[in-house]
Amino acid sequence: MNNDIPLNWFLYFAAASFAIGLVGVLLRRNAIAVLMAIEIILNAANVNLVAFWRYGTPAPGSGPLPGVILAILVITVAAAEVAVGIGLILLCYRRWRVADVDRYDTMSG
Amino acid sequence: MIPDEVWRSAVVPVANLQLVELNLQTWIRWALWLAVGFAGIFPGIVAYMVWLERKVAARFQDRIGPNRVGPLGLLQPIADAIKLITKENIVPRSADRIVHLLAPILVLVSAFLVMAVVPFAVGLVPVDLPSGLVYLIAVSSLSPLGIFLAGWSSRNKYSLLGAMRAVAQLVSYEVPQVLATIPVALWAGSLSLVTIFDRQLEFGWNVFSPPGFLAFATFLIAGVAEVNRTPFDLPEAESEIIAGYHTEYTGMRFGLFFLAEYLSVFGVSCVATVLFLGGGTPIPFLEFPVDLLGDSTASLIVVNLILLSVFLLKVLGFIFLMFWIRATLPRMRVDRLMNFAWKYLVPLSILNVFFAAIWYEMVIRPGGLTFGNWLRGTLVTGVLVAAAVYLTFLLNRKLAEAKPLDADWPSVAPATEAAR
Amino acid sequence: MASILFLVIATIGLATALGTVLSRNLVRAGLYLVAFFFAVACLFVLLEAEFLAAIQVLVYIGAVAILLMFGIMLTRDTMGDDTTAIPVGWMVPGLFGGLCVFAVLVVGINNSIAPSGWSPWEGTSSRPSIVKEEAEPGWVAERREAVNDMGRVIGVELMTRYVVPFEVAGLLLTAALVGAIALAHREDPDPKPPRSANRAAGPGAGDGPSTEAEEPVASSVSS
Repeated sequence: MNNDIPLNWFLYFAAASFAIGLVGVLLRRNAIAVLMAIEIILNAANVNLVAFWRYGTPAPGSGPLPGVILAILVITVAAAEVAVGIGLILLCYRRWRVADVDRYDTMSG
Repeated sequence: MIPDEVWRSAVVPVANLQLVELNLQTWIRWALWLAVGFAGIFPGIVAYMVWLERKVAARFQDRIGPNRVGPLGLLQPIADAIKLITKENIVPRSADRIVHLLAPILVLVSAFLVMAVVPFAVGLVPVDLPSGLVYLIAVSSLSPLGIFLAGWSSRNKYSLLGAMRAVAQLVSYEVPQVLATIPVALWAGSLSLVTIFDRQLEFGWNVFSPPGFLAFATFLIAGVAEVNRTPFDLPEAESEIIAGYHTEYTGMRFGLFFLAEYLSVFGVSCVATVLFLGGGTPIPFLEFPVDLLGDSTASLIVVNLILLSVFLLKVLGFIFLMFWIRATLPRMRVDRLMNFAWKYLVPLSILNVFFAAIWYEMVIRPGGLTFGNWLRGTLVTGVLVAAAVYLTFLLNRKLAEAKPLDADWPSVAPATEAAR
Repeated sequence: MASILFLVIATIGLATALGTVLSRNLVRAGLYLVAFFFAVACLFVLLEAEFLAAIQVLVYIGAVAILLMFGIMLTRDTMGDDTTAIPVGWMVPGLFGGLCVFAVLVVGINNSIAPSGWSPWEGTSSRPSIVKEEAEPGWVAERREAVNDMGRVIGVELMTRYVVPFEVAGLLLTAALVGAIALAHREDPDPKPPRSANRAAGPGAGDGPSTEAEEPVASSVSS
């Protein structure tokens, strides 16, 4: 492509999404909302990976697709994490009857 | 008239999947596809599918069907559309209005997007993606989200319950549907639907091989479940939890769901035709009519006409099959439905991938299709497929004897004893 | 042309991310998240990795979003709008903190110099061309083939160079699947007597709705 998108723009987008996700993780009280914000962070990291894959020159011996494969593995791990996270939140909900992370504050019981 | 070079470049070369240039010609192609195909032909086909369904169901039930509005009732879909548009749009007061409107739109968009990668004839494919199969799976996974949102936003216990069951069914049957397309991708060596079509020109239709036949059967059953047709229409049947997830939808919003369902039936039929039946080629193991494709525009038109009409005939056959099944079979209970997906279809599909690899090694890897290879491949994989199907049913029967499915319904057995 | 497209998609992406984080209604937040996933998929298409975009839609919107919706449904207090908002006193410090993090990242992006002393990344204003030319470095041919037929090349890579991460990811998914089902499974407190001898217990002994609630979660998890 001739009039192309500078790499910086993708990095700014990823940084902004990361910052928004971080704010979400820190500020939200509902456990599921925190999970959603974590997903935003993971997606920002994925955009970073794929942007650097496309705009950079590959290291010798790493193959033609290191960024994309890493992104796929990150997607896999994120999906597994959400599954287990929902299971944990369900357990906590059964115990304390509310999905509020401020109430999940004892290690026993 | 459309100039020659537009026709010329419409024939996408197979192995040269380069980036599409975003010039005026591409925009014109896409605009034509959108205006003529997606906004005109497909809704028209869907409207007359509704008419066909009512006629076919009526004949199966020994009656006539709509015959008042226009000759043979052919204007009935127009009357239905007018009725749906002029009906009052009632939205429950506590419903979430935006989500209530968004849900049928999501399901409809998913149904339309499926049609965007189907090759109807040579060069008649809206977009030829190099990863077309994955795109198809991705896009058909948008509809469970829409259905869940429909059930949720109606603020109705029964809608929510219906939506949960619908999502459980749709998500469960996605797995065998996807696994059934793996043999096809394996044999074609690519995920692009145009390449799959081309490979079937060389090696025969994918259905004429035992693993391909099993994959075809699995894909069809899972496809019927994915579009919520009988016998899997638990989510939306009128006698199940009122009407499931579209209880609170009236007027044109219900019309959107209706349109989306019939469009997905059409979409699944088109995809099944392309993947397994060599979409458009009339004779299984010959390259006719694609080998008539010369350099002239006239040959392109003739070939495309033949391919397109045969394609539509096959799609019509599938649609008729789905109507036939609807008129014949009763509805499946939800736990039997889930049982069938996870305990029968998924193991069979996974084993089928293995058999597909055996077929690939025996028939496709040598290069061209020879009768000896094909016969040997059919015998070996045929025995394996038959054994796998038999074993699956046998093992499930043993499992069911150990723990009967009706164990949660204690009033069934004692009631019959008390009635004696 | 591509720049305008990127600006539109990036704006939509950031707006929907903000919507997810700031929305009071959890289902609306989930919908904004779906739109964000879709914007990220569009960015992947702009980066010529459309296989990854399809996988993103399939896994995130088709599975993770539905799972989150089920989670929202199963953990709400009443049947109505969930309004667990951000406490008002935290809003301004939170946004300020977010802006600081973003500023640090931007400074890092603009002034980064690789350890080998390369020019900063700011100089990378256009992507390495993969159009076929005579004098091209060795890796361009491989990359062109990868971009043209990404599904096949990913398959080859996952089976040759990245086979260990692939197998470990499979193990991780199996463990997560079994673990999630084990976590969410509602244990029976004591073994029930045989059903046919216990007609007074009624059908299902009150376990109907919860087992049905478990089943969709389990099926969504296993998809």
